[in-house]
Amino acid sequence: MLIGNYKETYASDEALFRTPATRAWMAVGALAALLFPFLAGDYLLYLADLMAILALGALGLNILIGFTGQISLGHAAFMGLGAYTTAILASRLGLPFWLSIPAGGALATAAGMVVGVPSLRIKGLYLAIATLSAQVIFEWVFTNWTSVTGGIRGLNVPPASVAGFRLDTDGRIYFLIVAVTVVHFLLASNLRRSRWGRAFVAVRDRDVAAEIVGVNLFRTKILSFMVSSYYAGIAGGLWVYFTKVITPESFPLSLSIQFLAIVIVGGLGSVKGTVYGTIFMTLVPEVLKAGTGVARAVWPDAQSYLFPLRDVVFGLLIVVFLIFEPHGLAEVWNRVKRFFSLWPFAK
Amino acid sequence: MRHWTRLAATLSAAALAALASPARAADEVVTVGACQPITGRFAFAGIAINAGLQDYLTLANEKQLVPGRRFNYVYEDSGYDTEKAVACFKQIMAKHSPVIMYGESTGLGKAIAPELNSRYKVLYASASFSSELADPKTHPYSFISGPTYSDMFGVLLEYIARNKGAAKPKVAFFYSDTEFGKDPIPYARKRAAELGIEVVNEIVTKAGAVDVTSEVLQLKKTNPDYVIFQGYILSPIVEVIRATKDFGLKTRFMGTFWSMDKGIIDKLGPDAEGYMGVNPYAYFYDESAPGIAAMRAYNQKVRPEVKYQPNSYIQGWFTGMVYVEAVRRVVAARKPVTGENLAAVLDTIKDWDTGGVTGKVTFVNHKAGVGRVYRANAQKGVFEPASDWIYSK
Repeated sequence: MLIGNYKETYASDEALFRTPATRAWMAVGALAALLFPFLAGDYLLYLADLMAILALGALGLNILIGFTGQISLGHAAFMGLGAYTTAILASRLGLPFWLSIPAGGALATAAGMVVGVPSLRIKGLYLAIATLSAQVIFEWVFTNWTSVTGGIRGLNVPPASVAGFRLDTDGRIYFLIVAVTVVHFLLASNLRRSRWGRAFVAVRDRDVAAEIVGVNLFRTKILSFMVSSYYAGIAGGLWVYFTKVITPESFPLSLSIQFLAIVIVGGLGSVKGTVYGTIFMTLVPEVLKAGTGVARAVWPDAQSYLFPLRDVVFGLLIVVFLIFEPHGLAEVWNRVKRFFSLWPFAK
Repeated sequence: MRHWTRLAATLSAAALAALASPARAADEVVTVGACQPITGRFAFAGIAINAGLQDYLTLANEKQLVPGRRFNYVYEDSGYDTEKAVACFKQIMAKHSPVIMYGESTGLGKAIAPELNSRYKVLYASASFSSELADPKTHPYSFISGPTYSDMFGVLLEYIARNKGAAKPKVAFFYSDTEFGKDPIPYARKRAAELGIEVVNEIVTKAGAVDVTSEVLQLKKTNPDYVIFQGYILSPIVEVIRATKDFGLKTRFMGTFWSMDKGIIDKLGPDAEGYMGVNPYAYFYDESAPGIAAMRAYNQKVRPEVKYQPNSYIQGWFTGMVYVEAVRRVVAARKPVTGENLAAVLDTIKDWDTGGVTGKVTFVNHKAGVGRVYRANAQKGVFEPASDWIYSK
């Protein structure tokens, strides 16, 4: 049984991966992630890419909601803004991905700054509606600014390439997507340990108190919006190179809601939780689908009931799960970990 | 003893049956995969499309329409969500490696195109009538199972031009600001000008908009002879027709495929009288088409309780017909059944008689630009032909 781990410096106490066991697991995880594209088939790779992109976008929203306590219903629009910027630069100007993706992130950041302004005056549900307007406005622009965005038909984007090597399959683009996502997850973990990260949490827990201890509310909130939309913008850029086609219908309000669900199911304010939430929201429907496939073999006429039932089961799972663990999957994971590290002395 | 004779008789009968059909066992399997929107907001059509496609392929096996080949149909639900649909597509490709695929939407067609063209190379059709997918240059493996929305507008405008009086006919386009709504409009403007039809009004609304007062006032101002709807299923077509009747306008209303099913007559009630539109296929109750009679007979056999099948069912059935015809042609040419060969025979299909399920089919640019104008008979609750099959130009 692990009874504790000995630290001699503040630095080691603040380290991201604090114990040898964590570091070992991280190394195993990194190795598995590297080997995955060589072992997995098309379908699993597609899901992996999709989950990495969604996780990156959801992490942005978690910084805003979980860290800073602000809400946004326009997250998909920022992702769309990043995606369109990347797509336009890549398809019309022929910029390489290492310029077009950061440019998408930058424009999304700028837009986040503007949309974040009302957050100083309004909170909660009112802010949710204010950010909803961003969703509506951006969607309208994507649809109607035809000369730039290609209108309702959207744009086709050439695949990303590194020194002439085209990242045109899910297996190849995987490395780009996962690398960018991992770097941004490390950034977010570090952000939380920084002065700004602590300011975010202070604003979330009690904004008046935060202001009294010297946190500039306006700057902190705006910064949070900027970081959040930057993440969405980068996720959008990756998404463009992943799907190679972009239309206004790719970033609907329902995607914003999906991000919200990922963050809440995963665990508000937890970087790890964002990963768990994404896995849950993406894989559970696919697992249920596989389940209906098995049931269909036994009972072929049942498909008309089974397919809709899947959505009902998925919805129920989320509800049940939030009732029993409001802190999200991250907390479930922590409990499981505690159980094993304290076993057999505690249950 | 009697048991023994009976057993022997059964066994010999089974052996005979096995001997009688050696070809069946040796049949090569042609796998057709499908990602169908069985749940989600397109389920109303997806379930029927799936049933139609599956039924036709089963019938093709029963009747041995392609000798020496047996169709194996595998489908999954894709929930009318592009990302799920792409995952579904890849899953079916990896698991069953079909040579033919069916997809749920325009979105899927666009999203899968790069990989369809470079890696998968299977014949692909979908529930979409988008003219964007009917381009052999950018979508060499895709085809539209019928006319595109542009073709449907072409058919309607042709009908209007043929039935005009002394004055130049005035038409208004009423469409939603979605891909579905806007798809045929540029072509429709051009075609109207060619046919000497004046487009007096273009009204754009949200999909499924309900408050149509200001739009109806615009119609009142310009008083068009015809209004053509695009990009809606039911709402707001019903509301617009009712409101214009209240204003006493004599305008005639027309729709394209998705707003030409029985549902709209049921919703409109007596107001449906005179509602018109284009349908690429014959209706399930069509008495003159042998192809539709075969469809009814098959339904009578497998699900006798069903008295009506919607247009989407016929859409799926017709797609099955094209699949089977393409396979038949490839097999007849003694070529291997691959996506490339299947796509190559598409444009060899000329004046193909589908038994009245559609007009005579000629594939040009991977689409069959033919449709028929129907008029609603509110009393009987059916659509009746108002023209013969019209080919779009």
